Amino acid sequence: MNPGILSNLWLLPAVPFAAAVVILSLPKSRRKIASGLAIASQVIVLGISIAAFVPTLRTPGFRAVQNFTWFTFGEQTLQLGFVLDPLAAAMLLMISLVGLCIFVFSVGYMADDVNFTRFFAYMSFFSGAMLGVAIANSLLLFFMFWELVGLASYLLIGFWIDRPSAAAAAKKAFITTRIGDMGFFLGMLWLYHGSGTLVFYNDGRGCLEGAGLALLGGSATFIALLIFCGAVGKSGQFPLHVWLPDAMEGPTPVSALIHAATMVAAGVFLVARVYPLFSLGATNGVTSSLTVVVWIGVTTALMAALIAIAQSDIKRILAYSTVSQLGLMMVSLGVGGVAAGIMHLLAHGFFKALLFLGSGSVIHGCHHEQDIRKMGGLRRLMPVTFATYAIGMLALSGVPLFFSGGWSKEEILHATAHWSPSRAPYYLMLAGVVLTALYMTRQMIYVFFGNRRSAAEHAHESPRVMTMPLIVLAIGTVFLSVVLTPAWPWMDDYLTGESAHFSIAELIQPMLFISLVLVGVGIAVGIWLYRKAGEQDRDRAAEVDPLEYAQPAVFRFLANKMWIDELYARTIIAFAWASARLSDWMDRYFWDGLVRGFGAIGQLFGVFTTDMDERCINAGVDETTVGARGLGRLLSGAHSGQIQMYLGVVAVGMLALLLLYAWLA
Amino acid sequence: MIHMRYLQLLKLASPEAVVVLTALVVLSIGLLAKRATFACAFVAGLGLVCAIVAVLLLPDDETLFGGMLVISPLTSLFKITCLALAFFTVLLTGGEKVPRHPGEYLALILLATVGLMLLVGSEELLMIFIGLELLGLSLYVMTAFDKTDVRSAEAGLKYFLFGSTASAFTLFGISLLYGMTGTTGLAAIATRLATTSIQPLLAVAIVMTLVGFAFKIAAAPFHLWAPDAYQGAPVPSAAFIASGSKVASFVVLGKIVLIGFAPAQGSAGWHSMAAGWSPVLAALAALSIVIGNLVALAQSNVRRLLAYSAVAHAGYTLIGFVAGTREGFSAALFYTTIYAVTLIGAFAVVGVVRRETGGDDFSNFSGLASRSPALAGSMAVFMLSLAGIPPLAGFFGKFYLFSTALQAGTNQALLWLVALGLVGSFVSLYYYLLVLKAIFVDVPSLSGAESMRHAPSDFLQCATVTVLAAVVVLLGVIPNVLASRILGAVP
Repeated sequence: MNPGILSNLWLLPAVPFAAAVVILSLPKSRRKIASGLAIASQVIVLGISIAAFVPTLRTPGFRAVQNFTWFTFGEQTLQLGFVLDPLAAAMLLMISLVGLCIFVFSVGYMADDVNFTRFFAYMSFFSGAMLGVAIANSLLLFFMFWELVGLASYLLIGFWIDRPSAAAAAKKAFITTRIGDMGFFLGMLWLYHGSGTLVFYNDGRGCLEGAGLALLGGSATFIALLIFCGAVGKSGQFPLHVWLPDAMEGPTPVSALIHAATMVAAGVFLVARVYPLFSLGATNGVTSSLTVVVWIGVTTALMAALIAIAQSDIKRILAYSTVSQLGLMMVSLGVGGVAAGIMHLLAHGFFKALLFLGSGSVIHGCHHEQDIRKMGGLRRLMPVTFATYAIGMLALSGVPLFFSGGWSKEEILHATAHWSPSRAPYYLMLAGVVLTALYMTRQMIYVFFGNRRSAAEHAHESPRVMTMPLIVLAIGTVFLSVVLTPAWPWMDDYLTGESAHFSIAELIQPMLFISLVLVGVGIAVGIWLYRKAGEQDRDRAAEVDPLEYAQPAVFRFLANKMWIDELYARTIIAFAWASARLSDWMDRYFWDGLVRGFGAIGQLFGVFTTDMDERCINAGVDETTVGARGLGRLLSGAHSGQIQMYLGVVAVGMLALLLLYAWLA
Repeated sequence: MIHMRYLQLLKLASPEAVVVLTALVVLSIGLLAKRATFACAFVAGLGLVCAIVAVLLLPDDETLFGGMLVISPLTSLFKITCLALAFFTVLLTGGEKVPRHPGEYLALILLATVGLMLLVGSEELLMIFIGLELLGLSLYVMTAFDKTDVRSAEAGLKYFLFGSTASAFTLFGISLLYGMTGTTGLAAIATRLATTSIQPLLAVAIVMTLVGFAFKIAAAPFHLWAPDAYQGAPVPSAAFIASGSKVASFVVLGKIVLIGFAPAQGSAGWHSMAAGWSPVLAALAALSIVIGNLVALAQSNVRRLLAYSAVAHAGYTLIGFVAGTREGFSAALFYTTIYAVTLIGAFAVVGVVRRETGGDDFSNFSGLASRSPALAGSMAVFMLSLAGIPPLAGFFGKFYLFSTALQAGTNQALLWLVALGLVGSFVSLYYYLLVLKAIFVDVPSLSGAESMRHAPSDFLQCATVTVLAAVVVLLGVIPNVLASRILGAVP
């Protein structure tokens, strides 16, 4: 136990929030102070995260909570709290480390932006909210930070407010995730109704612990699925994935921080956090809610990988790859491989942030050109970016041994292969492995190999402040591959709370060779397909892709993202528009009339009562006085007349009350 | 025969003693020094802070002279509340155009505060009456204090005549009670009433006693003084009448009905009406909600509007007493405390606007948002809180109040009163939004803009208003800080 760190956990969200507030109040010209403050806050939270990580590492199965009462309603108390366990600690470490790299990178990337200070304020705000998500010990607190994360994401996607496309993307992201959040909210209400608490762990009385779960019984499935809706929205799972590729309108560091490493992983984290709800009453590790998770994940993973093949925007390819990888993590959670899923989440956080920052460096070098068909040959011009990007690419493709993504992906495949209801997800995952290798190879060839095309003519390597974070993240990616090696599965056991043992036999398994072959096939096919394309001198923006040449209809289908956006526009959005118009009409002509009518009655009555209260009483008394005493005495007697009236009212009122009393008695 | 323990009395009455001493010191400073405004206000504020400290040092539970002076968590909590409200009132006087006799004015505020503390800290009818009179007489003079304004004098006179009549009724009621029970201690009255059954006389005694308090809290139909007093009195006086005086009156009214008249509660349930104070208060509450809200709709002066809205709010608060439970009492006290804080803030804004534009009609508020965003924002907080919009304190207060009223009795007997309250607060949103419309939407008329003196808003005033707005927001977000304390203190 380390109560010291537990009572300081609140600093994790508080420090970046404070930094955000201070930065926002700075004038625009204080750029150095703004970035310095933001980075300093990240360093502080990194320190705290490390301090929080140590006790969880020392004791297997460590879990400490600190709850406090927010407010009391009669008998009911609403509690919030913080929790520190391996899941939270690993998340904290990843968020703060990756965050720090991205903050440093942003100093270079955003150097020319007018709203430099605002950018760092939003980033700090985001970071605080995300750290809050990681340590929340109450579904309600989780939801609050979750929504703050959504808000920060909205602000950052729409950071370049003068671009209509950015504003539209921000709106789309916000609204789409809200749809999922509504399910989340309903699930939360149901959970509170069922178990009477929203605190996760509370000495056996929390909603994820024995007694709380026992109260839920059969409704746990529905609650879990409703909560999963929130995860679907936030993690860009099918059918709510449409916002994530559009969110690439934001600055690239934002894409790296929010849409690769942290926020989108929050959905996966949520499922892992409330996993006891999903697995309640499992037979052989299978429940109906987990089965839904698996199939949603499989669909997302495969669909996004297919779409990624036909994209030409460097960031969109990565975006779809993120969607695909998140699907993979969901599958892992669904088949019972929680530790594998979280490991992939952590590894993915590193290498995807690396890839995004690398793409940012490419975009920066190519003067904000994002079309890969206009690049080429950047290998020699941007050596550091190339080397680090290659590491990221190999990790994402799932090459084992030296690249972190490989091992965690291996573990996921392993878990999927043993899923009892069906082998289909396993085979579909294997297809996904080939596709991933294929689209990443395609991207590498277009961007870094072959001849230089228009956008690459004047490309240059990025400054040190941008390449340093790339190198750190690349080292992290390789280092994680050592840490995550299945030969010594301490990470697995750390997350599940057992003790690790070393075994070299784990390293060599038949499945490893299957996936190695598949990755090889993917890369080889990619090279074979795009080798010639890479050597073209001219812009290939107007020309056909090799795949398009072979299967134009399929390629167009994929390039247009399977027409899902259009489908939504024709159905859901059209329906929303129609009902909005109908409501507008109702509002104008029906309700408004009704309300106006009531308002008029109320107003009339108000005027009437005022008249009674003021004019009739005052004027009435005045008139009486006029009649009784004559005009001469009116002026002097007006006030006393009023008072008499007032006092008369007192007497009458008292008599009325007495009558009421007598009547009741 | 009561054995006198003077030293203990001095110890237990130390907060009151501190305030009285401060009043005397302030009075002498006002007499001796020439430009005494600041010094007086400073000393008065300091004295109030000392009194708060003195309250904190009091023992937990103590009763002197058969309930004449009671120290309990409840009395201590509300003594602090009253002192804090008085402190804010003193801050408000700082911004007023220099009154000709600042020492006297502040001394009156302090004496009124002593009245509040006696009211809160007593469970004995004679002492309560003395507190009531001390408070009342100070307030009458405070209302009439602006000698340059005829309306101030008029309001003071009306307030005085109305108030003394109401006090006369109350005194008569108290004497009847004494005649029936032979005691003036609340707890003793309750035990005697439980065994007596002189119904008609008891009815007269209860109704008459309640009249004086209905006047103090401005419940209809005993509210007629309020619009004149709120509009005519100097701003700090009006703020004090609307806040401190109300809080203390509600505390003592609650104690009288819930402790003293406990055997004669009756019932105000829709199908289960039974004679007692409960239906009497329910009738007052219903009438106040209806009249207050409807008449407020037709006002064009912010202070008059606040006066009628005060009538409505008195109605809401009474619902908590009608519920008759411990939770109901605590909800009513929570509500009135929040209301008092909000109104002091609103009056502070009115004071600033009045100084800058020379009036307090809606037209004087137009364009406030561009002149002073901080004041406008704070006013928005106060108005929306009064209307009961979440997440502000007013929302939680109303929620707490109505939900406890619904829980009281069997079969949701008080639903009719709660429904009336809900409809009333729905209507009230209209006139609160009118104020905000004037502040944020209306363009100031040319003549109004010229007459504006463009005096820079006093920093102290702005800071006071902002602090009060922050308190209102905070109490909405974390109501438990106050609500649980009040609930814990209510016996």
